[in-house]
Amino acid sequence: MSAVIEIAGLRKTFHTLRQGRRVAVDGFDLLVESGQVHGFLGPNGSGKTTTLRALLGLVRADAGRMSVLGADSPERLSEVAGRVGAIVESPQFFGNFTAHRTLRLLALAGGVPTTRVDEVLEQVGLRDRGDERVKGYSLGMKQRLAVASALLKDPQLLILDEPANGLDPAGIREMRDLMRSLAAAGVTVLLSSHILAEIQLICDHVTIISRGRRVAYGPVAEVLAGFDQHQWQVRVAEPERAVELLGRAGLAVTAYPEHLVVTGVVDPELISRTLGEQGLWVRELVPLRPDLESVFLELTGDHPHPALPRQVDGAPPRDGVIDLDVRESREVDA
Amino acid sequence: MNLVRAELERLAARRFVQLMVLLLVVAFAVTVATTLAGSHRPTPLELSRAQAQAADQVRDMELAHDRCLRIKAGTVTPDENDYLPRDCAQIDPARMEKLPAASDYLSGVFVFANEAEPLLYFLIAFLAMFGFLVGASYIGADLNSGGVVNLLLWRPRRIAVLGAKLGTLLGGLLGLSALASVAYLGVFWLIGEVSGLTGRLGGEFWSSLGVVWARGVVLVLLAAAIGFAVATLGRHTSAALGTVAAYLVVWELGARLVFQILDVARPERFMLSSYLGAWLSGEARFWDGSACDDGVGGFCDGSYTLGWAPGLVVLLGLTGALVVAAFAVFRRRDLI
Repeated sequence: MSAVIEIAGLRKTFHTLRQGRRVAVDGFDLLVESGQVHGFLGPNGSGKTTTLRALLGLVRADAGRMSVLGADSPERLSEVAGRVGAIVESPQFFGNFTAHRTLRLLALAGGVPTTRVDEVLEQVGLRDRGDERVKGYSLGMKQRLAVASALLKDPQLLILDEPANGLDPAGIREMRDLMRSLAAAGVTVLLSSHILAEIQLICDHVTIISRGRRVAYGPVAEVLAGFDQHQWQVRVAEPERAVELLGRAGLAVTAYPEHLVVTGVVDPELISRTLGEQGLWVRELVPLRPDLESVFLELTGDHPHPALPRQVDGAPPRDGVIDLDVRESREVDA
Repeated sequence: MNLVRAELERLAARRFVQLMVLLLVVAFAVTVATTLAGSHRPTPLELSRAQAQAADQVRDMELAHDRCLRIKAGTVTPDENDYLPRDCAQIDPARMEKLPAASDYLSGVFVFANEAEPLLYFLIAFLAMFGFLVGASYIGADLNSGGVVNLLLWRPRRIAVLGAKLGTLLGGLLGLSALASVAYLGVFWLIGEVSGLTGRLGGEFWSSLGVVWARGVVLVLLAAAIGFAVATLGRHTSAALGTVAAYLVVWELGARLVFQILDVARPERFMLSSYLGAWLSGEARFWDGSACDDGVGGFCDGSYTLGWAPGLVVLLGLTGALVVAAFAVFRRRDLI
């Protein structure tokens, strides 16, 4: 598969009078290949939007190399802009313009046939309200309009920053279906979101950014597998005896009031056999698989775990910090 | 071209632009209505009286000139009421730009030839304010609302996008100014025809009016470009408004006062308003108090003038510098 987006060593520091120097992105790498629906995750302020803005030529990078559809960005971005649909962080529109006029003007400016306007309004579910002024729209409707503006070019690459922002559950489902249908049609999608369940449902690949640095990337299943501790939740009639038997068999067991958790077991048969041979029958045996949320929270340091990714602002790392780059290469690249 | 078309449509669809055009139409209508209400077609009697008064005035001027020549020649002794210029040619009616005409002696009659220039100045003033405000709000609102970012996602060429916006603004404004001027002067000419007098409308009149119009339109375009550039630099419409307000208060009022206290010679040279006036009226005359302050008595002409050329150079230089700065900053700015 060919690379649609390549970012290597992206670095961006903002200097403001009020806040001084702030490192937003620190040597960030991203690779999105053709046909992927690629999730781009990170907590607020982690550098997601700065990365997307730099990629789209809206922010000047201090260092690094970026390319979109094979063209260096921002130098040759205009050569491929007609094939890239993008929304960056809840775009605003003139309240007094209707959705139809807003899209028509964009189509006109971009040399796109204005007949596309009705098509994309239909696609995002705004066909019947396209002649209303945008100021009367809800946040979710504005978001749909933003997605419509990105789809107007019939893009090969779609870059969407928080497209589900403000959408109700039904809207989120529609957006998910839309992403899937676009992906099925061969559109490469880069989707930045903080709704982790959505990313897990829609995306096949994921990149996680924290404090300006990439902390994990790869196929979603592989990233999750990298954090799988092969844990099993076990319920039995005599938990104390089960702990003793499993411990004697060399398995790591943690007892909780309602159940036991056995860690480091690939094949659950080992648990049921160990207990069954001693006449202790397993009532429940449930795998404890990591989801994207737990991986995200662990990687981004937004959880009670003592491990935190290193500070990108030059602050010294805290004791017990896990070098996430090392872990990333060990658990994901492997 | 598509970008310019889209921008033109966006500009025309802006509510602020529509409001300002409406304001122009209302101001226009009020002026027309009051002019119509205060003017009537002169009767033959009024006309002949006015013609006689004008002829009397011309005759008096000829007599005064003739007397001046004779006094200078020593054939007549001057009395205390005689006005004697250095050169009698100064009061020679034959050399005067404009001689008294019948229209000067008609009351309650709108005379187009007399009123066209002040009317045009009013229109220019309105259009200059319109240009400045629209220029500032056009880019200011777009920068503030994210419209520019949206556009750059479609056309990631910053200079081309900003250039298209400025070009569209100036082109649109030029078209509006031309249309408004033709409609405005046309209606007042019609009022002169129907309910007043058109006056003397020779080639000289039209060429003189044309020069005022051309100067005015240049001023309108410069005002729009300045508003656009300052709002681009400040990222907001209010940046342009604040800059103008600050300039007027701090420099035109405050610094002028300081210059007066410090007895700085010719302080008008440092004021933009002087160059603006010089450009618009062709020449601005100021009084230099220090020029005649040499302790020697007698006649001293302490006035000095600023011509239209330095006026144009200063206005163009300022506008050019602001526009270049705006483009340079916008080219490198992080749009966040």
